[in-house]
Amino acid sequence: MTQDLAGGDPVTELKERARTEGTVSASVPSSSVAVAGPGDIRLGARETGAGESAERELAARVPAATAGTGGRLGAVGWLRWGWRQLTSMRTALVLLFLLALASIPGSVLPQTGIDPAAVSQYYASHPGLAPVLARLSLFDVFGAPWFAAIYLLLFTSLAGCVVPRAFRMARSVRQPPPSAPRRLGRLPQAASFGTAADPEPALESAARLLARKRFRLRTGDGWVSAEKGYLHEVGNLLFHLALLGLLGSVALGGLFGYKANRLLVAGQGFANTPTALDVFRPGRLVSPADLQPFSVRLERFTASYITSGVQRGQPSWFSAAIQYSASYGGPEHSYDLRVNHPLIVDGVQVFLIGHGYAPVFKVTDRTGRVVFDQPVPFIPIEQSGLTSAGVIKVPDASPEQLGFAGVFLPTAVDVSGRLASAFPAALFPRVSLVSYAGNLGLDSGQAQSVYSLDTSAMHRLAVPPVPLAPGQSITLPNGLGKLTFTGYQQWISLAITYDPGQTPALISALAALAGLILSFLVRRRRMFVRAYPGHDGRTVVEVAGLTRSDAAGGFETEFAELASEIVHVLDGSAVVAGQPATTSRSAGDGLPAPAGDGRPAPAGDRRPAVEQLAAERSAAEQPAAEQSAAEQPLGAGQPAADEAALAQAEGE
Amino acid sequence: MPVNSGVAQASNALLVLTIVVYALAMLAYAGDFAFGKRKTPAPVPARLPELVGAGAPAGFDADAGHTFPADPSDLSELADLSGRAADPAGAAGPSAGAAGLPALPGLPALPDRRSRWPASAWLRYAFLLTCAGLAAQAGAILTRGLAEHRVPWGNMFEFIAAITCVAVLMLTVAAVRFRAYYMGLFVLLPVVLALAVDVVVIYTPAGEVVPALQSYWLAIHVTGMLVSIGMFIFGAVVTVLFLLVARHERRVAAGLESRSAGIMVQLPGSSVLDRLSYRAILFAFPAWTFAVIAGAIWADHAWGRYWGWDPKETWSFITWLVYAAFLHARATAGWRGRRAAYIQLTGFACLIFNLVGVNLWISGLHSYAGLG
Repeated sequence: MTQDLAGGDPVTELKERARTEGTVSASVPSSSVAVAGPGDIRLGARETGAGESAERELAARVPAATAGTGGRLGAVGWLRWGWRQLTSMRTALVLLFLLALASIPGSVLPQTGIDPAAVSQYYASHPGLAPVLARLSLFDVFGAPWFAAIYLLLFTSLAGCVVPRAFRMARSVRQPPPSAPRRLGRLPQAASFGTAADPEPALESAARLLARKRFRLRTGDGWVSAEKGYLHEVGNLLFHLALLGLLGSVALGGLFGYKANRLLVAGQGFANTPTALDVFRPGRLVSPADLQPFSVRLERFTASYITSGVQRGQPSWFSAAIQYSASYGGPEHSYDLRVNHPLIVDGVQVFLIGHGYAPVFKVTDRTGRVVFDQPVPFIPIEQSGLTSAGVIKVPDASPEQLGFAGVFLPTAVDVSGRLASAFPAALFPRVSLVSYAGNLGLDSGQAQSVYSLDTSAMHRLAVPPVPLAPGQSITLPNGLGKLTFTGYQQWISLAITYDPGQTPALISALAALAGLILSFLVRRRRMFVRAYPGHDGRTVVEVAGLTRSDAAGGFETEFAELASEIVHVLDGSAVVAGQPATTSRSAGDGLPAPAGDGRPAPAGDRRPAVEQLAAERSAAEQPAAEQSAAEQPLGAGQPAADEAALAQAEGE
Repeated sequence: MPVNSGVAQASNALLVLTIVVYALAMLAYAGDFAFGKRKTPAPVPARLPELVGAGAPAGFDADAGHTFPADPSDLSELADLSGRAADPAGAAGPSAGAAGLPALPGLPALPDRRSRWPASAWLRYAFLLTCAGLAAQAGAILTRGLAEHRVPWGNMFEFIAAITCVAVLMLTVAAVRFRAYYMGLFVLLPVVLALAVDVVVIYTPAGEVVPALQSYWLAIHVTGMLVSIGMFIFGAVVTVLFLLVARHERRVAAGLESRSAGIMVQLPGSSVLDRLSYRAILFAFPAWTFAVIAGAIWADHAWGRYWGWDPKETWSFITWLVYAAFLHARATAGWRGRRAAYIQLTGFACLIFNLVGVNLWISGLHSYAGLG
């Protein structure tokens, strides 16, 4: 987003105004021009060129609005004004801040998309506040309409600024540099010197030198104008367009991608179908039939942990040996699935994101029938010892359904009367359970979590609270049956993602980075040379330079080098800009000595010059081909000082 | 592979040594402000003497084309710095050649090679101490990496040691390249404080990293992060100075008394500081962008999504936005200067919150700080 597009560059706008109205109010500060009201549209729209067509398009798309005759401007005028406001740098700045501000709650409050359990917890602890926050989408900030509104406005603003600029850039690439200003001594960088060579050959040598430095040249009667550094603007545009590409890629992933989770106990397998997945979050345009038909089976999972030192208990290695096949019934392949080493099958990525223990239980009911015999995944409730909690539901037991809730301790130790796990590996595994009998409530029609037990219709059984070692059993009272802890398995949790926007997003991001670096490294600059016969029979050569994308500095030196090379080529002698030039030119030449040292004058001194310029320009006729350099904006991020200097140099 | 505890201890000792040397360097920098002789640099021999008006034929030095320095960007700062030293009012702004140097504004004056080296003895010792401290710190980081057989930035302790190292490296580069020796005290102050907190409060013994961090992306992503953060720190320190000097200049211009004039006079003008901090951000911002992209690639590789609004990701996004706003503000009329400086400092506050606050108070996937 640039200022020149945002509000039209101030100087040009002043000049435009001077041309059309014949007068100018030079006291209008440049900043207020940029945010001028609807009255300025007439002038502004003309400069924007490509922007104008966009405005028209916008107006055409809202036919109802054109019918209204609100004020002096009418609806179209207001729309244009609104569009200019939206695409202005100021608005972009505000939107950048708003977006930053809007993201903050997303990092502070629990988010449904990231951690739904934390959201439920928040509901439980803040029953009054949570519904209000939910209403404001504060538990889903990054999917909230107001968040979308901000970033869509920002991207509209960006597009409205960058796309017309891209067209202008494309045009300016084919255009030669602008003609040299008349008074080079007034440019921010200027020098002049005398040489024995005649003006024509002097200019030719200077032009050759600049051409050798890969400047783009334009020559005229007594001057050479050269420009270089188009890549600055190219980089700037690339960066901004790549951001649009990034947004598109994210949208692509949101529409056609999906995310899923699946917990998998060792020895078990699953196929990639919605019903086999624990969590399935499809993109808006994904149907179950679109899922890639692969299947995965977990052979075994190994975890190793640091056994000594302060990091004792910290995991050092996870590895899941899996078998997978890319299609149902297809050939199986084995794969070593690890953290940072996902399985990629058919464009889908399968990640190892968690692990835990699944103790295996066998339950027989009163009749002696085995009504339950399977591993039950327990969920870790702490990481240092992997103490895990889980429930066992035995709906098939008779006469009463049975339920157990408890913990699995991989390395059980007694810490002052309480059981705890001292190490995450299963060195001394124990299970401690509480037993219930009654109605599990599974037939109520309400969905139940497999990780929680609804004991409202159950009664607790009096079982001595002795932790079970593998192979040990609990005999339930009243002959209700028997539970045996037969051993344990490990489980892994898998994240399955498919995101077709991934590669475009990567390309966009890298393009943005390249554009950023390019626009920071390259500065766009112009060099001007004029040569004319001086009083003493020698030729006076004036050299001047101008850049607008050099906020970090450095152009002075490049200019000095170029200027001294030109001096060297012409075998001349350099002098200070300004004063000596006046001595070498006739007093009646009308070149006022610039204030100070040839650098841009402070803001206070600048304005009269603009005023003067505007007044002069309104009277003077300027052939279209000889349009001033000031009318071709140099690029993004230009300080107004150079503009004014150029304008000053244009003064006749 | 087990940690080599002897080498790890050597690393700890080197880090403590680093703090001591930096503290001494700080003292020397402060001594320079207090007692250093502020000499107006000797006029540079003018190489471009003849004026056209005087009619001297071909007076230009034959080798003039080659006398410009190879890395030229320090010219304006040089001129400004010297101009400033002789111009206590400090309101002159970027007035190359306002004093000392011969007035050759069209063609900037040629700096004397020797003038890169600080004139004040205090400053020379301070700078040497800074370099010695930097070497000790680099040694501490290197030995830590050798002890652990991995890149030594796997937890907050190591990370802070590394970013402060980058900040000091930036300081030395800027000092030599842009003659910004005056920055020494102001950069070392936060560095020494951060290192002291690092060693005393958040020390984490050398060790292995969790499987999630066992990836070559640790080297890419976190290196990018710490390089950019080091540069952001430097930029923020310069910006704080910029605000102070700008305030001083405003007060002087308004004829008011400036309490901190003693130090302010010895600093370059606000425009020089403004440019210096902008340069730092021009490096830091692409580096940050790169680091975020690298992080996204790693996240995609490790967690299955390149962006998931994890608190750390969210705050790096916020930081990126605010620094982007800073860059845009600098290109917007009415926002340059102080307002842009405040935006930059806001961005820096977001950065620090991401580094400290998110690690301490917000749990997420990036909880590797080792502070639990």
